[in-house]
Amino acid sequence: MLPLMNTVTLDRESAEWLGDLQGKDGGAREQAIARLHALLLRVARAVASRRRQTLPDRAIEDVDDLCVQAVNDAVMAVLAKLDTYRGAARFTTWACKFAIVETSSRLRRHAWRQRKVEVDDTIWDRLSDSTPPILQRLENDQLVVALRRAIDNHLTERQRLIFQSVAMDDVPIDVLAERLETSRGAIYKALHDARAKLRRALIEAGHGEPVS
Amino acid sequence: MIEFDFEKLLGSSAPDPGCDDSGELMDEYCELVLRGDAVPDRYTAFLTHMTNCAACREDMESLLAVLRQGEKTGRG
Ligand SMILES: [Zn+2]
Repeated sequence: MLPLMNTVTLDRESAEWLGDLQGKDGGAREQAIARLHALLLRVARAVASRRRQTLPDRAIEDVDDLCVQAVNDAVMAVLAKLDTYRGAARFTTWACKFAIVETSSRLRRHAWRQRKVEVDDTIWDRLSDSTPPILQRLENDQLVVALRRAIDNHLTERQRLIFQSVAMDDVPIDVLAERLETSRGAIYKALHDARAKLRRALIEAGHGEPVS
Repeated sequence: MIEFDFEKLLGSSAPDPGCDDSGELMDEYCELVLRGDAVPDRYTAFLTHMTNCAACREDMESLLAVLRQGEKTGRG
């Protein structure tokens, strides 16, 4: 495949990045990789500081190592995907995306390191006392019963684990992806399929789509 | 009459391309937002995914924050 087919015209800075990273000049390439690493590390640290309050105290001291590892992987991903860069956004914006996805998914997994993920039926009992935020508006008992029945009757074990964890208990999909040894995209697909089944089952049970 | 947040729990039933395909558009969408341009229809499914997927939504918000910071400090 030819790189840069069908691209919009690159801005000068993006063209320079690409020229240096793809060029034959080994020295210029090395320097560009070092600049990219430094840029993405600043981005990773900014993301980590934004998300600091989501981390338990014990996890905070490892965060800088985590950022460096995330950026090492992000730089590799950027270099591996240079041929797919089409110039729809500036090169630095495109590259930052890799650093953000790597860093934030590591931070989510890091925050959950010592927490279990399992099908937790106590979520239904918790409806009355410490109600998870997502369920605060489940005021209609009949609907709770219908939802629970739809989950039991229509979801596979795996879909049930994923739906209850992600949609009801706010477990990040990156955490589930790691535990179930798959990708974020695959977990999301399972969640999406589970939601569609539940939506259908609830409509069939007479709980139509809300008028918003 | 439904009392609960159907959409948040069960997601939107509109077409949703998933994490990988939505990720492809995230950078250009964020630049569009920063420029203040109108959002073309071709981002509709992407935006549905941002509503449905907390992780991608957070990543998009992080990218927007990083770009805004970059504008402020004059760094791209
Ligand atoms: Zn997603």
